[in-house]
Amino acid sequence: MRSWTWYKNLDYLTIFLWLALVVIGLVAIYSTTQGPAAAYLLDTEQQSFQRQLAWAVICVVGIAVALLLPVRFFQASAYLIYAGTILLLLAALVFGDEINGARSWIRFGPVGLQSAELAKVGTLLAVAHLLSSKRPGTDNVRFAVATVALILIPAVLIILQNDTGTALVFLALIPIMLYWSGLPITAILLVIAPGLAGYLAIWSTWAGWGFAALFTLGIFLTTRQRMLTSLAGVFTGGTVVAFSLILTKILQPYQLARILSFTNPEAEEYRTGVGFNLVQSKAAIGSGGLFGKGFMEGTQTQGRYVPAQSTDFVFSVIGEEFGFIGSLLLLTLFACLLLRLIGLGMDMKHPFGALLAWGTVGVLLIHIFVNVGMATGLLPVIGIPLPFISYGGSALLANSAMVAIALSLHMRRDDFSIYGY
Amino acid sequence: MPLDRSVSETATPVTTVDVFTLWLAMDEYRTRSRLFAALVLGVLVVLGLRLVQLQIVDTQAYSGASRNNAVREVRVKPARGVIYDRQGILMVDNEPTYNIAITPRYFDTTRIDLLADLLEVPDTVVRTRYQEALDWSGFQASRSFPNVTFDQFSRVQEHQYRLPGVSYEKGQKRRYLTDARAAHALGYIREIGPGALERQRPEGYRRGDLIGQAGVERTYEPFLRGDVGSEFVLVNVHGRRVQPYRSGVEDIPPSSGYDLHLTIDSDIQALAESLFVNKRGGLVALDPRTGAVLAMVSKPDFDPGLFSRPVSAETWNYLQNSLDKPMFNRATQSGMAPGSTWKPFMALMALQEGLITPTSRLSCPGFHPLGNGRTFRCMGVHGSIDVGTALQTSCNTFFFELMMRTDVNTFSRYANAFGFGVNAPTDINEQWAGTIPDSAYFNRVYPRGWTVGYSINLGVGQGNMVVTPLQLARYMGAVAMRGTIHAPHLVDHLVRLDTQERVEPDLPEGETLPVETAYFDLVREGMRRVMEQGTGRLLQIPGIPSGGKTGTAQVGANREDNSAFVMFAPYDDPQIAIAAIVENAGFGSVAAGPIASLVAEQYLTGQIADTPTRRLVLNRALTSESEPLDDGQ
Repeated sequence: MRSWTWYKNLDYLTIFLWLALVVIGLVAIYSTTQGPAAAYLLDTEQQSFQRQLAWAVICVVGIAVALLLPVRFFQASAYLIYAGTILLLLAALVFGDEINGARSWIRFGPVGLQSAELAKVGTLLAVAHLLSSKRPGTDNVRFAVATVALILIPAVLIILQNDTGTALVFLALIPIMLYWSGLPITAILLVIAPGLAGYLAIWSTWAGWGFAALFTLGIFLTTRQRMLTSLAGVFTGGTVVAFSLILTKILQPYQLARILSFTNPEAEEYRTGVGFNLVQSKAAIGSGGLFGKGFMEGTQTQGRYVPAQSTDFVFSVIGEEFGFIGSLLLLTLFACLLLRLIGLGMDMKHPFGALLAWGTVGVLLIHIFVNVGMATGLLPVIGIPLPFISYGGSALLANSAMVAIALSLHMRRDDFSIYGY
Repeated sequence: MPLDRSVSETATPVTTVDVFTLWLAMDEYRTRSRLFAALVLGVLVVLGLRLVQLQIVDTQAYSGASRNNAVREVRVKPARGVIYDRQGILMVDNEPTYNIAITPRYFDTTRIDLLADLLEVPDTVVRTRYQEALDWSGFQASRSFPNVTFDQFSRVQEHQYRLPGVSYEKGQKRRYLTDARAAHALGYIREIGPGALERQRPEGYRRGDLIGQAGVERTYEPFLRGDVGSEFVLVNVHGRRVQPYRSGVEDIPPSSGYDLHLTIDSDIQALAESLFVNKRGGLVALDPRTGAVLAMVSKPDFDPGLFSRPVSAETWNYLQNSLDKPMFNRATQSGMAPGSTWKPFMALMALQEGLITPTSRLSCPGFHPLGNGRTFRCMGVHGSIDVGTALQTSCNTFFFELMMRTDVNTFSRYANAFGFGVNAPTDINEQWAGTIPDSAYFNRVYPRGWTVGYSINLGVGQGNMVVTPLQLARYMGAVAMRGTIHAPHLVDHLVRLDTQERVEPDLPEGETLPVETAYFDLVREGMRRVMEQGTGRLLQIPGIPSGGKTGTAQVGANREDNSAFVMFAPYDDPQIAIAAIVENAGFGSVAAGPIASLVAEQYLTGQIADTPTRRLVLNRALTSESEPLDDGQ
């Protein structure tokens, strides 16, 4: 039942939000590379804005192509694409260029692609496909294990590429996808809680213990199940013990410093070393105040005090030059996009489309939380980009592709076979 | 927890239609979606709250941090005041210097060879300088290559984008424009040392600043220096200037220092310096009416321009440790026995104290009786003479007798009044009071007791007393002016270029000596006879009557005598008083006299008369030599 008015189903709000974010990103990149300090930059850096603009145009074309493809294409080729991205990861590991210590780049003529970014799309397609084939009554655990395996394979390859930050995104995706696989909430909580306990343990062991105790008590009070309660206790308590052991016994001092520095980057021993990024990023964002210092007027930005300010720390540019108002606008746009994508998922009457949309929300949410959390000193410095904003073509392409696929599936939601699969 | 009712609990026999229906009916997923939306909002709210904390609550602190980071107050050094001589001839001004600085924190050590190539120095030099800079401070720019040439400077500037942590600054150095060195009067400027920096930091001195080290450069440092300005610039993480901060609205421009107008006459200063060839000693010429120093020479001297360049260890060693002591100001710091130039003073004191009258006659048998003819001898047998003749003939016996008739405390009281044994009120920093003994001094030096035999030598300017050329010139000024003694000074006035504000040195007015004018007339008459008929007759300035006195002071068993000479001219309307001492050069009329006479003539007439006598005097001045110092000295 193809209609000539298919575009009526297209969700223009999502397109608008995508465009708004990409434009904000271009503005930030323009400020970092075309400002008064541009003369001191290398030619390749000066061209960042033009490159990102070119990537944005490529993405527009990509979105158009994705919208033209039939829904069956994505389902049918999900595993194929997954396999392709895994091959790319392997190829990068073997033949790739090493950039910033990570061997994740593959070169196609003049264009370099970051295989790990593309792997997100493949993995998401594969997991959505896997979980949408799950029938009621099938074993939760088997699907959970398969989901974890699908995610862990690229994650391990990416760790081997020495890009821990991106690998962490994959790991964080596991509980989110398990959540959508229908695993009981308590089980999800059991997966998430150790993470929180570990985070608190970095700040203070006592906070970790406190959280572990409260969580275990909460599980007991809500479920009254001894098994679950003891699992909760073992998971959270074990994490706290493991973290304190790792922090005090296993990690080398420089590794420890990298992790601990975010809790107090201004400390004498960190501020010029591992804490430098964070000190400068916080100074940039904090000094932006309510209204910001103005476009191309940020002293931190124009002085290039924040390393990686057009990539991982791009949020500091927006925070400094556009202030609280600008940062809040950005976060609001993100919130609108993510909520809209959740809505698109709910609109779709088919688990593949819904899972893909929600998975996209998961991937984007992890990026936003980790990236902004890192730039504002809530989290340790983990090098991942801010979706649509950070400089980097592969990430922009991958994130846009996920949104575009969700949009395409949503637009053609009536084309899904009622047989589904 | 209702959510725990998982899908499997509601399972029915599986059909694809059922799954689809299930999916539609699934409140479960609706609930999960809402929960997920709540998570999304929760995460973004947490981030938003963090932004509230950073950007609204703590924004002040972070603004401070970011300003400290990126906004650098650059000190803009003012132009140091320039120095003119009394005729308005520019003696000292400034020229630009170029310095290359390294900030180790940002310096890329792989660029050491590039920097070395640009500067045309060996890699090891750059490496050493980098290490020195690092040892001093990682974050502050060290002026590692001061005073590079303009070519070196431009090459580094051109390649600066490849040299993070390398910056440049323009400075200034002194340029000396006249033939007169006037090294000891002008002094010199150098980079401030660590000790002085510590003390003078509150006055705004910073590492690398230049500061006057001697002479008027030191005395008038607060005036010459000017007011340091400030420029606020945005610097990037590599310490490089990006642009003015807030378009420079907070900048404060520097204000140049005061220009100095010296009392020195650069022409006679240059002449006096040239006449001191092969000699050690000092000369001071001043205007007796004001105390203005017209010339101040100390030889051997040094080139003050030396300090505008990096001073090599060798040069520094010579300046500090050589026997010649070139940094030592012999005109104001070197104590020497005045010899017979002391006799006019003795005459004035004796007349005022009533030890003799203007007509008293004393007898000279060729020696003073106290020494029984073996010591305290005279140069001749003068017979019965009055004070005028005693001065003209420089009779030792007469002045030994005057010393016999007084006591050392009266002697020292008068000497102090004439400016001996005390520091002069002056703007000359480097001076020594010399020694004028009194009874306390003798008691200290000769604890076993002393007699008049110990002090009688003071009558002829020998024995336990030393004076400086500056003191002698000042005393000669007082004699010339019949009893008015002035504060000697090097600076007439200072003018601030931008405001035309004029400042004069804060020095006391001239004082009147406690000696009657008539006695001065008598002594001046005696000194005129010295120039006309006595030891100074060859030194008379053609056509200009003057008063003078030679002196030949014994210094030690095996050394040549010190040659001393004092004079004033013209006799009736004194415009110049002058004192010169040449070390180990013999009679006063041989070395010191010719120099002083020629300098006075040049000052008064603007030339040296071309007469046979003057040619002889000039020849004597140029050929007389100080007996060289040796290590055995």
